[in-house]
Amino acid sequence: MSSRIKISRLAAVGGLSIAVLLASTACGAGGPATSGSAASSINVLVEAGGHAELAGVAEQCKKDTGLDVNFVELPYDGLFNRLSSEFSSGTVSFDVAALDSVWLPSFKDAVQPIDEMFTDEAKKDIFPALVKEAEVDGHFIGMPAWTNAEIILYRKDLFEDTKNKSDFQAKYGYALAAPTTWKQYQDISEFFTKDGMYGTDVKGAVETEWLAHVLQAGSAAVLDENNNVIIDNAAHKEALDFYVSMTKSAPPGAAQVDWAAAQNLFNQGKTAMTRFWAHAYRQIPKDAPVAGKVGTAAMISGSAGVAGVPGPWYLSVPKATKNTDNAKKFVKCAYEHNSMGIESSLGLASRISAFEKYQDQAGYESFKPLIQTLNGNATATRPATEKWQQIVDTVLVPMLQKAVAGGDSATLLADAKKQIQALLK
Amino acid sequence: MSIAETRPTGGGTTGGNSAGELPHRPRHTGVVPAGPNNGQEAPTTAGNNRRRRHHAEGLEAGKRSTRTLLWILLAAAMVLYAFPFLYLLFTSFKTPIDTIAVPPTILPREWTLENYTNALGRSGVLASFINSAQTAIISTLLSLVLAVPAAYGITRYKTPSGRVFIMAALVTRMVPPVAIGIPLASMMATAGLADTPIALSIAHTTISLPLSIWLMSSFFEAVPQDLEEAATVDGCSRLGALWRVVIPVVSGGIAVTAIFAFLASWNEFLFALLMTAIRSQTTPVVIANFQTQFGLDWGSMTALAAVYSIPVILLTLLLQRKIVAGMTLGAVKG
Repeated sequence: MSSRIKISRLAAVGGLSIAVLLASTACGAGGPATSGSAASSINVLVEAGGHAELAGVAEQCKKDTGLDVNFVELPYDGLFNRLSSEFSSGTVSFDVAALDSVWLPSFKDAVQPIDEMFTDEAKKDIFPALVKEAEVDGHFIGMPAWTNAEIILYRKDLFEDTKNKSDFQAKYGYALAAPTTWKQYQDISEFFTKDGMYGTDVKGAVETEWLAHVLQAGSAAVLDENNNVIIDNAAHKEALDFYVSMTKSAPPGAAQVDWAAAQNLFNQGKTAMTRFWAHAYRQIPKDAPVAGKVGTAAMISGSAGVAGVPGPWYLSVPKATKNTDNAKKFVKCAYEHNSMGIESSLGLASRISAFEKYQDQAGYESFKPLIQTLNGNATATRPATEKWQQIVDTVLVPMLQKAVAGGDSATLLADAKKQIQALLK
Repeated sequence: MSIAETRPTGGGTTGGNSAGELPHRPRHTGVVPAGPNNGQEAPTTAGNNRRRRHHAEGLEAGKRSTRTLLWILLAAAMVLYAFPFLYLLFTSFKTPIDTIAVPPTILPREWTLENYTNALGRSGVLASFINSAQTAIISTLLSLVLAVPAAYGITRYKTPSGRVFIMAALVTRMVPPVAIGIPLASMMATAGLADTPIALSIAHTTISLPLSIWLMSSFFEAVPQDLEEAATVDGCSRLGALWRVVIPVVSGGIAVTAIFAFLASWNEFLFALLMTAIRSQTTPVVIANFQTQFGLDWGSMTALAAVYSIPVILLTLLLQRKIVAGMTLGAVKG
């Protein structure tokens, strides 16, 4: 027998053996856990970013209660599909799920009430907009695990530059400082739009920022409390006109600018200011041109006061889990040790006391503006309708993209109203 | 007709080549050789030779320019196809700020291996590789075990039901994967197979099986039926002829089919997303997890993607000869 044939045969036998071995052990290499199988373990379904937030809590929970926590991480875009699939089948592979706030109305019938955890004391320590959002049809169905809101990030080094200060004073007649009104924001944006740099960004591919302007202008966003479509009212038009007006001080191609693009532009030093989620402050890469040169300010007030759209995630317990007691134990644990999330790479929490504990520490300069924004009297969560994601994807974002590209705001808002009404029928 | 017979006899009458020999082209010296018949016939012969030589040189030059053009086109195609992978590879060696540079750069300003240590050090990555391998191997075996007999039966028996079956096999390819993914996930959960590589392998087989049957059918079509008949005359049963004669002939085709089935499973994302959790999560889902609500870790994502593509590249290189043989198998019918 030639050596070549020998090698071929050996390879074939080896390959077959491996295949048989793999097939015989085809129970997965990730671990033995299944939902509800072990008395002292639970599975927690989280978006990939949420794992970092909850990892510390899970360790603490293990120390306190002996509960083993296994995380099932999924990318954001797939998480909703997975949740829909498992909730509709009635069999779930997890005992606790971290839900984006906009999904709560969609899954309200698939998760258990956790009213007993929302004591008066707890409600005082959670931002008002979040308490309101967690309550669906008279029951609290999710405990806020972490939250976020847009604040103002600006280039401290440029704002403190002597020449910039004197030039700005000469041109606009007041001192260059972090903006506290939208007129100042416009002026500063215009001032820094020169020499290949831009004053700010305009995000045409996301809707949240425009919704914050709507709230600041004194209206509920898109739907009123009775779910009537109010997207064509004066506040929405005022907000849209202002939003579009900023394009002249922003990089071209605003229609395609989303969160990632805006964050990149700011971190690369291409924009002097950005309205962005507070977590981004702690995520500026150490080797970025703007590292150590960024200041923070609360979201600017409109005629209705300071307003932002919170971006919280809630921990919910599915009705289909067989491990309810342990699941609730973990949710309670996560609430009690909520501040541990701040120590994670993302650095967020949901309790007011957790943010306040860190707000004066170096490196957490974004917390005071975040607390101010979340406590803003006009701050409100997104409308509680299960069609919300569809409204965003098919109506709001396309409308904004047309608006920043030069479309007529009144016509676009009127069209959007008809489309949303059709979706809600 | 042999190659020698079809070749132009470049040496012409003065070349003196015998039939069957490769033509001899006389060296061009610029001087008409003197000879015994250097009288009246010489200018005519020299002129013919010159014309033939010019003609041959023209053909050569034409061939050379065509070849150069083909090389240029090939190089352009290579760059076009390889660029996305090269860009991914270069990005995996960039620093975080370099990965999001505006405007983007192709080569890293500063080379780093940090992305690889981050990506490979992340919990669950090794397990996801094992899960991906398990799933892809089981799915490939399932596809071959089902596709080979199915394709053989369809091509050899040529029944109307076979023709209907081969068309019907494509139906699963016509439905959006998510439409079958969600029911499949529910079925697997009901069968107690939730979050196992076997469940995912079965799901992946629904993707690769139709393609495998079609591929194998074209390979079986290329095998002359006389071969099997000869084997039968020599005492083989139908199955014996299939195993001893036909399968070795289409082994290249089987290798091609196996590669396609393996790749379909190795890179599949949607079913893995819907059907796996802690125990059986595959690497494509882990790669996608680098994109979070808080940002996108390009460096780690591209590093893991680069590492994940190595086994497939190696497999393709190892089976290169079989693949080429398999690809030409269906093209030439005996």
